[in-house]
Amino acid sequence: MEDVLIPLGIVGMLFVALPWLIFHYVTQWKKNGGLSIEDENLLDELHDLARRLDDRLATIERIVAADDPTFRRPETERLADQRDQDHVFDHINERRRELDRRR
Amino acid sequence: MTPRRTRFYLDKRNGKFLGVCSGIADYTGIDPLLVRVGYVLIGFATGFMGGGLLLAYFLVGWLAQNKPSEFDYEDTEDRKFWQKVRARPGHSVRDVRSKFRDIDRRLAGVETHVTSQNRRLADEIEALR
Repeated sequence: MEDVLIPLGIVGMLFVALPWLIFHYVTQWKKNGGLSIEDENLLDELHDLARRLDDRLATIERIVAADDPTFRRPETERLADQRDQDHVFDHINERRRELDRRR
Repeated sequence: MTPRRTRFYLDKRNGKFLGVCSGIADYTGIDPLLVRVGYVLIGFATGFMGGGLLLAYFLVGWLAQNKPSEFDYEDTEDRKFWQKVRARPGHSVRDVRSKFRDIDRRLAGVETHVTSQNRRLADEIEALR
């Protein structure tokens, strides 16, 4: 009796329980991690849009700040200014300061 | 098959040989050097799994598609975003939403500033009368 039960148990574990376990996790992973192609395109578009809006808003904030120094630009935006890219408005400010010094 | 951002592609342009390791690095966001060194180290430690690891490399290099040129990233921010989408799509969706909220908040700040400025100007004009 034992001679039959043990191999049967092992075979059952190998060919039934193991694939079951694997497929269980595969389906779970697919359910959680899957983005449909429409969702992916939508996300791409939204991400692009957010970046463009962010850039435009940064420009507007820079204009307002150059106009009126009391306007406090958000912390993140001021950090972004420290990137190596140079901005037109920084040049304008610099020129203004130079003119002030000459007076 | 339509090309997708979340699929594994070979990265031949930055690759050393077939672009497999570079593709893995691009897909996951791990440093490519680390992927290559890790691959070779694991290979040596396991004796290349009896040649299986090398076979897997060539199989992937042969079967996987090269990365379409329209998926070239604009900059590092773009690259990081898509690596995050592959790892945790839900999180990146929430990230985009929070970005929109941030934009909304900042726009509100500019709006209040501009409108209050007009108000001050109106007060000054009123005082001049």
